[in-house]
Amino acid sequence: MSTIATQYLARGKVDSAGQLVSADQPLADLQRACGGHIGGALAIPELRALVDKARSYGLRLARRFSAIDGRERISAWVEIVPRIGTDGKAESCEIGIVNWHTEPLAIEDDAEVERQRRDVYRLLSELTARLDTRQNVIAVEVEATDLKQLKIAMDEGLGKPWTDFVHFPQLVHEQPMHWRLLDGAQCEIPGSERSWTAYLEPLGQPDPGSLGFVLHLLSDTPLDTPVMDADVDHATDDELPSLGQDLAPVLRQPINRIIANAETIRSRLAGPIAPEYSEYAGDVATAGQHLLGLIDDLSDLEVVEADSFVTTPDRIDLGEAARQACAILGARAREKEITLVPPVVGEAQVARAEFRRVLQILINLVGNAVRYSPEGSQVWVRLDRVGSSALVTIADQGRGLDPEEQTKVFRKFERLGRSGDGGSGLGLYISRRLARAMGGDLTVESAPGQGARFTLSVPTGE
Amino acid sequence: MLVGQRDHSLFAEHIVARVRAMLVSLAGQLLRAQADAIGARSQEEFVAEHRARLVERLTGQPDLLDQIHALAIEWHLATDMEARLTLDPVLSPLLQDLVGNGDPEIASVAMAALSAQARFAQSQRRMEIALAELPADLFHDVLVAWREINDAPGSDVLERAEKRLRDEFDEGNSRLSLFSRLVMALGDTAGAALQVEFAGVGLFLSALAIRSGQPRAMAATSTNPQLIARLILGLRAAGLKPAEVEAQVLRILPDAELVPDLDSIGIREAAQWLAAANTSGAM
Repeated sequence: MSTIATQYLARGKVDSAGQLVSADQPLADLQRACGGHIGGALAIPELRALVDKARSYGLRLARRFSAIDGRERISAWVEIVPRIGTDGKAESCEIGIVNWHTEPLAIEDDAEVERQRRDVYRLLSELTARLDTRQNVIAVEVEATDLKQLKIAMDEGLGKPWTDFVHFPQLVHEQPMHWRLLDGAQCEIPGSERSWTAYLEPLGQPDPGSLGFVLHLLSDTPLDTPVMDADVDHATDDELPSLGQDLAPVLRQPINRIIANAETIRSRLAGPIAPEYSEYAGDVATAGQHLLGLIDDLSDLEVVEADSFVTTPDRIDLGEAARQACAILGARAREKEITLVPPVVGEAQVARAEFRRVLQILINLVGNAVRYSPEGSQVWVRLDRVGSSALVTIADQGRGLDPEEQTKVFRKFERLGRSGDGGSGLGLYISRRLARAMGGDLTVESAPGQGARFTLSVPTGE
Repeated sequence: MLVGQRDHSLFAEHIVARVRAMLVSLAGQLLRAQADAIGARSQEEFVAEHRARLVERLTGQPDLLDQIHALAIEWHLATDMEARLTLDPVLSPLLQDLVGNGDPEIASVAMAALSAQARFAQSQRRMEIALAELPADLFHDVLVAWREINDAPGSDVLERAEKRLRDEFDEGNSRLSLFSRLVMALGDTAGAALQVEFAGVGLFLSALAIRSGQPRAMAATSTNPQLIARLILGLRAAGLKPAEVEAQVLRILPDAELVPDLDSIGIREAAQWLAAANTSGAM
């Protein structure tokens, strides 16, 4: 490296047994954070993999690696020089670290979560009031009939704090308190039998609330549902928090942390834990990944099942969507030596549908075909048109589905007896819902041993 | 139709020819080293005699082919952008800035990357690739393939020749490694490297790969018109705003018909789709 003015931030040395015999800061700290110690086995998973590679190849490596020290994600540039002994075998390795970046483990984007939260409140709130900086009511709009009394009271009392008009069973302090304490508070409203939650959306940057607030009141119960009738299925659904919009962002972060930590434990191969514990950690990580995938699917499910779900159709080319889906899944198909045969360039089928939804469906269908087809087989994607329907058919050479399976395959959580492959049993259900929301459908034809043909139809729009 | 598609396909004739030529050049370098080691009378005769077999062997290594194929596509894009936008395939505006950077490490890595890029351009014009430019894993695979076709276990001469090649190898001096290191060194300011007209194709592709979590070969291949969706997803996953994604796609593929609405996909969604496409579908 004579041409480069490399200043190593830290150096370290790994002996022939894989022990980190010396390390400067911050490498030493990271080794300890990963559960190792100086003189013990190198415990930083990705770095250990690189050192092993450099030793087995007998080659100098220069790579980026990342690690998690419990609080932060670290990425660093490392140069590894194996020392080759007289017998041609690598003995020890010198490690040189350049470039050390840390970033907090905030996997969720706070602004994004906040934006989603705000959108939900705007959509669901039955009372929206504009407040000034001291939380006094400036204007108020209501949608529900049982809030009329409150609206009249507020209209007559404009300029008073909104907290004068409602009752907080759980708060005894003098009102109004700081908006952050009132955000999310339970309250009771004269004239309404329902229970309510207040949300305050602060306005103004950089100091939230400096331009006043928007007050949203949301009820746990819709007005037209009898309040006592909790035994009916859909009524209990309504009382649950929304998975996609409320829970998914909250769940992702701890699960991501579980996965990250389980990976750290799992990779500590020669470290101070017994191999079976490392395997358990691997199981934990796999289960966590599965859970994450499930949350994503369930969020989608909630979106497509909502009555308000609409798609925004556009004039699109199904051929283009099919080619894109095949291109995106090409690498995975090649791994299994499966040949994807998309419609040839130039072949087109105009349709009226939402491109990204069609792409989402096709990725699901082609992905399934790749996943459940034997190695070395082919998956065809064909275009067609019948009357005013534009069709895409995905045909595989898998084991096929018998008539009973064909009726079951589009059901929610249907796995057809499969397990352990990370599927949630929601993909086809969601795809069919999407297809129908666009005025089309998703169907299957198959016979055992003859492969399956899934056909997506959407209107041609002519 | 076939003629019309020729220049744009992933496996266009000129791309396939370039891949083939690069494999021939790799084989030639190994065989010349071997001819030297065993003291063959005529180096060129020795190379000519064994080359076909070694090339055939290398052609059977999918990872190597992917890498070489990606380099061919990268060079095609670099020459294309030179013709369209007069973007110098060696010295990009960003690289020029970085060479004069106040941080001596960044400046010297940029300088080394610049000369590596110059060597790359020179060898691509000859349709060649230097062995030392391969990532360590592929370099190792190539040496193993070479050892296997020689079928001479325990030959001291060959072992010494191989050891010399391994000793001389330093991944940190390779062009791809230097570009990655530059992207790392840029840290939060690496966004500049995601503007292809400013960063140059080589540095842009390294930044795209690192920021979107894709292998660099995959990122390079996505600049082919057939993979425009992957390019869009990659740029989005790398953190560009939809308007910036559109601008970059049109710089790279000026004839592209932008996929409607694809750019409304969120950053995390894009990253998830890319990851899902690389690992598993979902029933």
